[in-house]
Amino acid sequence: MAALRKAGFLWRRTGSLKFCRRNLTGTYDYDLVVIGGGSGGLACSKEAAQLGQKVAVLDYVEPSVKGTKWGLGGTCVNVGCIPKKLMHQAALLGTALQDARKYGWKISGEVSHDWCQMAESVQNHVRSLNWGHRVQLQDKKVKYLNLKGRLVDEHTVKGQSRTGKETVLTAKNVVIATGGRPKYPAHVPGAVEHGITSDDLFWLKQSPGKTLVVGASYVALECAGFLTGLGLDTTVMVCSVALRGFDQQMSGLVTDYMESHGTEFVWKCVPERVERLTSGVLRVTWTDSQTGREHKDTYDSVLWAVGRAPETTALGLDQLGVKVNQETGKIIVGADESTSVPNIYAFGDIGESRPELTPTAIKAGKLLARRLAGQSQQLMDYDNVPTTVFTPLEYGCVGLSEEEAERRLGKDGVEVYHAFYRPLEFTVAERDASQCYIKVVCERGGDQKILGLHFTGPNAGEVTQGFAMAVQCGGTYPHLLQTVGIHPTCAEEVVKVNITKRSGLEPTVTGC
Amino acid sequence: MSQFEEVNVHGYEEFCQAIAERKGKDIFVYFSGNKDAEGKSWCPDCVKAEPVVRGEMSNLPDGSVFIYCQVGERTYWKNPNNDFKKNLKLTGVPTLMRYGTPQKLVEEECLKGNLVKMMFTED
Repeated sequence: MAALRKAGFLWRRTGSLKFCRRNLTGTYDYDLVVIGGGSGGLACSKEAAQLGQKVAVLDYVEPSVKGTKWGLGGTCVNVGCIPKKLMHQAALLGTALQDARKYGWKISGEVSHDWCQMAESVQNHVRSLNWGHRVQLQDKKVKYLNLKGRLVDEHTVKGQSRTGKETVLTAKNVVIATGGRPKYPAHVPGAVEHGITSDDLFWLKQSPGKTLVVGASYVALECAGFLTGLGLDTTVMVCSVALRGFDQQMSGLVTDYMESHGTEFVWKCVPERVERLTSGVLRVTWTDSQTGREHKDTYDSVLWAVGRAPETTALGLDQLGVKVNQETGKIIVGADESTSVPNIYAFGDIGESRPELTPTAIKAGKLLARRLAGQSQQLMDYDNVPTTVFTPLEYGCVGLSEEEAERRLGKDGVEVYHAFYRPLEFTVAERDASQCYIKVVCERGGDQKILGLHFTGPNAGEVTQGFAMAVQCGGTYPHLLQTVGIHPTCAEEVVKVNITKRSGLEPTVTGC
Repeated sequence: MSQFEEVNVHGYEEFCQAIAERKGKDIFVYFSGNKDAEGKSWCPDCVKAEPVVRGEMSNLPDGSVFIYCQVGERTYWKNPNNDFKKNLKLTGVPTLMRYGTPQKLVEEECLKGNLVKMMFTED
């Protein structure tokens, strides 16, 4: 036994003796094995391969409860950002068709939407992205394995195929980027059996019909938003607040707009059970937590958007001692994406307190690959990450919410400039601009550094992106004032904000 | 040695006919610029890619179909409204596609044997 130990083989006491698969020269099969082929995993593995590392990526999609599954690329490509934005666009085009009439277009008769045609086009685009990723991996010499990965020890990963066949890989470093999946409210009878989640919505071959969306996260609001825009009877059931974690004033503007544009909201209500009636429709019973009264209604579909759970249960993390946040289930990570076990890293949605966004996962993955290849020491900067909620009235933001800024600096330490504005395009179209609003949260006094910037309006993502760079560069309120606006745009109103909340003056922009 | 059917077609109509006659089959199509009397195509990348693609044909799945489609002369191809561009959304030649799926390799991608092999051997 002692002699073998001297030869450098690792023995592990796990009830049975296991060999760590190293060949006699002590090398591993791979420099890096990445578990998870989503936004983060793909970026990390491709970057590592380009830096000369021998890399394998394992991607596997456990079918949803309803049986939905998809190809390579992770949540963003298959059941997130991409299909979401395309369906949001489909809905916006519906609204544009209505506006068009006011601009002189003669559109005869009733305009209707064909879910099947839209779904097929969206699904075909997603499939072309799956293929594109496959080609990229092959081209960049990353070994791709359609296997469900599990950690055996800090250098060994076991991959299981759909048929149960196992493959063992050894690696110098292992990266976990398995992301998350939608949660079901399992305590609600009928929830799992009769409801769907975002995993299913984008792959439905038939229209979801009259839909109840339970939840008030951006997933819930974005989905409810485009369903409404496509002409479907849509209700959102919120148990407490909408867009938790986002600036709550802005969240109110988003939901106000949705409520006045066809989405039904049921506030402070909790679902009790879901039953399927003989006609096939779903009957949902819920309780109004304020009155205590019970209500019922029927829907064709119930979409659960009540949060996402990290994909960590089947990874074998506790056996290895990889520390996980007991409440969230997410992996506890350091600033360098390290876990409690050396040479095992985790990033993307799976990381505790990390933003659940594609661009941060991609960037963090690339930087991690560079550090592991010894090419860099640069860490990922998770501050001032811009994002946009693609609800019917879009909301873009970068930096701190007003509440967070006040929490950090006190109400006296913060100056908030704001303005309600009206997009020019809304005028002829006779559209309601009551919730189109801009808020710039600054340090009061000193340099008046911009701490947070918030915008509701059309093309919010496009508007916010450029300002994110300003915030990244430490932009100040004087910088904003020095910037000349582009006219006529909505974005120019950002550089023109001059009324403070403190002044109490009416923050409505007057036209030019 | 894998068993597949090789079909040669010229132009869009013959291509459509070949597809229609083989419903339900796994069909791979290689689109190339027309070859002249000496057997040389006006499209230089097509000339380079052909031996690469042919080199991987032993990897074609059993029972599949390989259609070698000559699209037309250079002037026909350059027209942005030609049938292949309009109906099949082809953007360049050579293109290797798995009909009815989003799987395709375009231009320089066809020069890479490992990518061609991947298309022929993976689901």
